[in-house]
Amino acid sequence: MKHMKIFLIGIAVVCLLLAAAGPSRAEVIKIALSLAMSGPTSDAGQPYAKGVEDFFKYVNEEKLLGKDTIDCTIRDDQYKNDVTKRNFEEFLDMGIPIYLNYSTGSTLALKRDFEEEKIPTLPASFHRGNVEDSNYIFLPIASYSEQCIGLAEYIARHFDGGKAKVALFIHPSAFGRGPVADLEKAMAAGLNIEIVETVEHGTDLDSTATLQRLMSKGVQFVIAQTVQSPVATFLNDAERLGIIAQTFGEKDKITFMGAHYTGGTDLIALAGSAAENFFWTTSYRLTSVPGVGTEAQLALAERYGRDDKTANSHNYTNGIMVAQVAFEAIRRCKAKGNPVNRVNLTAELNQMNGLNAFYPVTTVGPVTYSATDRAGVDSLQLYRVQDGQWHAVDAPFRSEYMRKVE
Amino acid sequence: MSYFFQLVISGIVVGSIYALSALGFVLIYKSSRVLNIAHGQLIAIGAFMVYALTVWLKVPILIAFLASMVLTFFMAMSVERVFLRRLIGEPIISVIMVTIGLMSILDGIIYLTPFGSVNYSFPAVLPVTPISFGGVSISWTQLVGVIITVILIGGFSWFFKRSTLGISMRAVSDDQLAAMSIGISVPRVFGLAWAMAGLSAAAAGAIIGNITGLNFDTLRAFGILVFPVVILGGLDSVFGAVVAGIIMGLIQQFAGGYLDGQWGLSGTANVLPYIILLIILLFKPHGLFGTHEIERV
Amino acid sequence: MSANRWLATGNFFTSYREEQRIFFTHLDRLVFVAVLVLLFAWPLFFELSNKYMLVVNHTLIAVVAVMGLNIVTGYAGLISIGHAAFVGVGAYTVAGLATTLGDSHKLITHAWPLMIVLSGGMGALFGAFVGLPALRLKHLYLAIATLSFQMIFEWVIHFMGFFNQGQTIYIGRVHWLTGEVGRSSHYVFWYYASLVVVVITGFGIRNLMRTRFGRCLIAVRDNDRAADAMGMHPGLTKVYAFALAGFMAGLAGALHAYLYRGVGIESFTLHHSITYLAMAIVGGLGTLHGAFWGPAAIEFLDIQVEHLSAWAAQIFPAQGNLATALRPFSFGLVIVLFLMFEPRGIANWWRIARSYVKLWPFRY
Repeated sequence: MKHMKIFLIGIAVVCLLLAAAGPSRAEVIKIALSLAMSGPTSDAGQPYAKGVEDFFKYVNEEKLLGKDTIDCTIRDDQYKNDVTKRNFEEFLDMGIPIYLNYSTGSTLALKRDFEEEKIPTLPASFHRGNVEDSNYIFLPIASYSEQCIGLAEYIARHFDGGKAKVALFIHPSAFGRGPVADLEKAMAAGLNIEIVETVEHGTDLDSTATLQRLMSKGVQFVIAQTVQSPVATFLNDAERLGIIAQTFGEKDKITFMGAHYTGGTDLIALAGSAAENFFWTTSYRLTSVPGVGTEAQLALAERYGRDDKTANSHNYTNGIMVAQVAFEAIRRCKAKGNPVNRVNLTAELNQMNGLNAFYPVTTVGPVTYSATDRAGVDSLQLYRVQDGQWHAVDAPFRSEYMRKVE
Repeated sequence: MSYFFQLVISGIVVGSIYALSALGFVLIYKSSRVLNIAHGQLIAIGAFMVYALTVWLKVPILIAFLASMVLTFFMAMSVERVFLRRLIGEPIISVIMVTIGLMSILDGIIYLTPFGSVNYSFPAVLPVTPISFGGVSISWTQLVGVIITVILIGGFSWFFKRSTLGISMRAVSDDQLAAMSIGISVPRVFGLAWAMAGLSAAAAGAIIGNITGLNFDTLRAFGILVFPVVILGGLDSVFGAVVAGIIMGLIQQFAGGYLDGQWGLSGTANVLPYIILLIILLFKPHGLFGTHEIERV
Repeated sequence: MSANRWLATGNFFTSYREEQRIFFTHLDRLVFVAVLVLLFAWPLFFELSNKYMLVVNHTLIAVVAVMGLNIVTGYAGLISIGHAAFVGVGAYTVAGLATTLGDSHKLITHAWPLMIVLSGGMGALFGAFVGLPALRLKHLYLAIATLSFQMIFEWVIHFMGFFNQGQTIYIGRVHWLTGEVGRSSHYVFWYYASLVVVVITGFGIRNLMRTRFGRCLIAVRDNDRAADAMGMHPGLTKVYAFALAGFMAGLAGALHAYLYRGVGIESFTLHHSITYLAMAIVGGLGTLHGAFWGPAAIEFLDIQVEHLSAWAAQIFPAQGNLATALRPFSFGLVIVLFLMFEPRGIANWWRIARSYVKLWPFRY
């Protein structure tokens, strides 16, 4: 029996050696994502994680990188920056050439590490503060500031009742307040709106008084920069008071608008009929406006058995798109025969412009990065809720005043 | 002036919902001296149950509402049986920590269901048009919320004053040993207190869920939000919870309505309750209506 | 005093002085010194990955904070649900100076030991202030007063532009005798810095418990009215306890700020306060070494569950929810199980193990 054992061990060792020195030489590229799948904002984090996971699975199964595969580690950090940092250190030890991050807080907290490690990073937060003094953070789409200014420009362009009176409805944190200063700069640069009041919400159960105050001040538009739940409560109260404009800029009513994290199917799910005629801007395509990109998204979701809510979530799109960008940079790097490492991937991302711009089908415009442009998709699409569905309004547009603010 | 009255009405409405959320706390504390930090989770579970019953199982909303109250009644009772029964007589800190542990466990269980990560909203049952009079308006949801609060609180007050069971519960809260010696089953009273707290949490959850939509983060936050209410009212006073709830609702509305935007202040509605709470506690260390415990060496 | 100075199978005290000794036998002292030497020496021989070094440092910082919490909650019996806010006070002391002076000012990068002590001082100041209601409030009402401080702290940080509205405020890299502490040696450096703080404060608290003040704390916990009758001032004792807890929390906060090289409000929320409480309970309230076991156990659990949920996610790929649910679930379960079956915490296991060794080869 003893001989048998030695023989078996011998075979095992030989197999291992063969496997190690096998002829395939397929490279496994390690990527990592740390995000909140439990704790605060997990309603956005869960579909996001699924988007990333599914896309890389698809890449590997379809052999889009030839023999090479992408191994993406996804970690739950429960929205705690300390845990994000711990994950990031581990990912560095794994030797990741590109890192996917999530929240505004953790992106800012780790910004200096990204700089020192010179590692390209794609966060899920579009906070403009992320890219200040940073050479390695690449926002997937236009920043919150750009989204809010874009909405304000849309108001200035399409409202025919003189100078529009706008109120801001924001999250009581830097995430919400960030765009306020930029909007003020845009106004100083000539953007023709008037900000009447900035409302910071809490966990309000009744906003009647706030809404009445806004009405008495003659507010015609509200731009929201927060997450869905407070917007839904606000809209419910507005609906009940009968002050939601049924068309854009309706007289003596308020038209509600919002940036990326205020909208999506979640808003309709939370606010129900009160979400009607809510204007929302993002750079992603939505499944309620069918097209090539959304078909691909739904097919991906079906392939990996995702439920309807996930398949139609704009955060699922968000995750897919970020994975696409990372994949595209790797693919280009490979195509040139360069080794996949931080330097080359950063260079590839920085060259994504002009003729080299990347067109992921999931967004309304191309992804363009350069040494000075840190926001991926600069185009914004305005959406509007009609009959419980998001519908596109006009063609995608770009914010003019953002250039003057930066 | 109608702005002022609107703030008052909104404050009262919001306050009575706070009172309803706080009721569960008070019931548990009153009988068993346990501060239940997992109350927010109970509220969330109540709301999710109503949704699951109405939308997934197509039960009429009124029955779903009652059924969820019955379900949380038994759920909270078993929570008490499993988690808290063993800790009778342990120091306060252990009892607080066990509810903190319970909070995490319930979080984990909720993450297993779709409610942990997906948002929903109740189908509209009540009319959308508000009730208005003289520039002041109140929604049907809120009105129903207030009515349910009044019914439940009235019911509980009656229960504690008149029914044998209620009186035995008061006896237990007064002196456990003496209550035991006259044949009251203390564990049963504790179980019942939790069950009633679960019931009121389900009612609160259904109403809050109707107003804010079903978002787990938002709903569970109410567990912490009602702390100033229960402490202000006095931990063991049902009446105190009502008064303190309304005071807090008014403070929040007035803070949001008059303070925000002045002197660069913002979000004061979230912090002012705690500041006022601290000030009041300095003068009334047992809250407004709490029992002054006589301590002996 | 027993005849054998190395082993003592029972208590041989003939004076109170002897009973108050820190080390009862030479063996105790030897083991302690050996462990201390080991703690200081291991990084020289064994290199840990950055991730685990960060975990170790994080645990040490939590030990400092929990030692503080243990004073107020364990020894003095006052429940504090706002401990993370005190840690935040320490961190934001460093951050506030970084905002006014610039994050690479010499005071911050060179005089960092001073900064750590200063943060401790600020923590103590706030601790004493928040402890003031303890003069009148008791039990749960006091617990909620600390909760109020937590809420007010979070709001103030979010509100004030000076504190960057809760967004990260960066702290520059520190200097040491060998020059700037770079990325490669960052974690090892802060391991030693935190370890020194832990050892000094640990000794401090151990000795404090032998003083009049230490005994006052325990008397007040056991019955504050009786303590009052014995001529102690329960109110002031409680305020001192809060101040001391605040001091320890402040130290932890400054270490946290330097270790993570930035201060953001997300690290000092209510959730963290609760975690500190859980650490104190699991470790064992009212014991000094409990403050070491608790953080180590909770951190260890967190890492293990992370592995477990990664494994679960592979086994049930479409059920990502299961993997997510595991973490809060296991955290809660550990707390509950400890409270039910070992309310005295891991420190009790240590006590049992010790008494077993002490009597070996005999049993009870």
